[in-house]
Amino acid sequence: MFAARRSLTPFNRLLSTNLYRNKHTLVLVRHGESTWNLENKFTGWVDVPLSPKGHEEVIQAGQLIKAEGIVPNIAFTSKLKRAIRTLWHVLEQTDLMWIPQTQAWELNERHYGGLQGLDKQETVDKYGKDQVLVWRRSYDVPPPTVDRGSEHHPSNESKYDDITVADDFTESLSTTLDRVLPFYESSIVPQLKSGKTVLVAAHGNSLRALVKHLDGISEDSIAELNIPTGTPLVYELDEDLKPIVQEGAITPLKGRYLGDQDAIRERIEGVKNQTK
Amino acid sequence: MKFAIIAFIALLPTSLSFTSPSAFLNPSPSQIPLTSSALSAYELVLLRHGESTWNEENRFTGWADVPLSEKGIKEARAGGKLMKEEGMKFDVCYTSMLRRAIHTLWLSLEELDQMHVPINHTWRLNERHYGALQGLNKQETVDKHGKDQVLVWRRSYDIPPPELDETSVHWPGNDDKYLGVDRSDLPKTESLKLTESRFLVEWESTFAPAIKSGKKVLIAAHGNTLRALVKHLDGISEDEITGLNIPTGVPLVYTLDDDLKPVKHEDAIAPLSGRYLGNQEDIRNRIGAVAAQTK
Repeated sequence: MFAARRSLTPFNRLLSTNLYRNKHTLVLVRHGESTWNLENKFTGWVDVPLSPKGHEEVIQAGQLIKAEGIVPNIAFTSKLKRAIRTLWHVLEQTDLMWIPQTQAWELNERHYGGLQGLDKQETVDKYGKDQVLVWRRSYDVPPPTVDRGSEHHPSNESKYDDITVADDFTESLSTTLDRVLPFYESSIVPQLKSGKTVLVAAHGNSLRALVKHLDGISEDSIAELNIPTGTPLVYELDEDLKPIVQEGAITPLKGRYLGDQDAIRERIEGVKNQTK
Repeated sequence: MKFAIIAFIALLPTSLSFTSPSAFLNPSPSQIPLTSSALSAYELVLLRHGESTWNEENRFTGWADVPLSEKGIKEARAGGKLMKEEGMKFDVCYTSMLRRAIHTLWLSLEELDQMHVPINHTWRLNERHYGALQGLNKQETVDKHGKDQVLVWRRSYDIPPPELDETSVHWPGNDDKYLGVDRSDLPKTESLKLTESRFLVEWESTFAPAIKSGKKVLIAAHGNTLRALVKHLDGISEDEITGLNIPTGVPLVYTLDDDLKPVKHEDAIAPLSGRYLGNQEDIRNRIGAVAAQTK
């Protein structure tokens, strides 16, 4: 009854609009598997699509959000199609294709510099496992840069005509955070404060940046934290926009995942144990 | 002579993206600009969504939020492909609150590889509201009210169908999508005339300024709101507009001058100045075929 959305009287509508009414709800969804995940290549800002499995993952994510009775009022995503497509699937499943949506480069995946496009195994063979591990999992050591001559430099893509980046460009998790958080503060926070339920469809590292901030996770821990793909992560925030620990939250996060909790725990543990 | 060459070269980028190859190779005098302002041609592309599930079921749809049918999805992709072949690049997109138009836009942007382009939704681009007829089967309605009356409701310029009341599930006030809209703006029925006047508010406040600021605009909408738009652009009469059919899923490209007056394209099919993308003969057949249907 509470999930019904087409009741007729204003009072019924008030009750039925949202189980999370008068709370500040933030739903994060990491995009599903991409074609380059399948091909095991460093992706970063390369604009690859979802794989067939990736589509399925995020259709499910949308169904989970709908089943939970969560009704986003506004959505944010990156400029990369794998995240935008994820958002569109979620909006289609929740019957919310009409809500305002913003595609922001600030929510892009971390740029992988000179490693973009390279096969992960080949890179390990070339530079050694330890070096690659540092580039992938260190908090503030970025991969090698790309210059303006490279197809991977943002200045060579018209979708980034509005932004200025350094001549030699790359990103670490730290520098990713430096552009995610100001965007969160300026664009997402006001929406949350006004009582809107916000949906963010983004990437592993841009979401790491967000949860690091929300949950006060240390620089050492954040690089290891894995947010499973296509699994809605729901935060309820208090008046100061500090997360309220959710029942079922998996440390160090205060938010909770929607879906089969055992399967989710396995996925989080499983990735942690992979030697990469 | 030198001026003509300079002007011709300056026109090259415009002609490559917006006009047909023949215009590039054999520019007529009207296409070589004599003043700098004529160089700043604006482009606007319109796209009517394809078949919906209620088109299939032959029901009056209006603001009812039904999805595209499989055919409608194919039409949308085809429209996107045509725009991609033209090398079109958009800066901003506008669409309605109704999923059949939004989905059409999404599918087109996917084909164009421009999913990152900002999308804005407005109820003012919604299809004309069909009042108390929404949801009813067309044939049943004809049986009930008579063919002539239904024809009036469907094709008159300013006679709307009967109003629905606020208890109806089709009253927009009962739909969360429109919580942000003034109650007094929400229709209980609409004629083409009323659709036009509420559409024009957005044209003046949002679309025209966007176009004038140099942005390449794509509008994905519905039969009657696009009628309202082309009526305004091309100065089409009230009588003529009710019979005008804009084929679904076929991008309609307008080049506008500084005053946002359309520059007539050589492939334009009267009374429009804009041109449709795709096989011209097929399109002419589609327009002709619809006009010939007795409805």
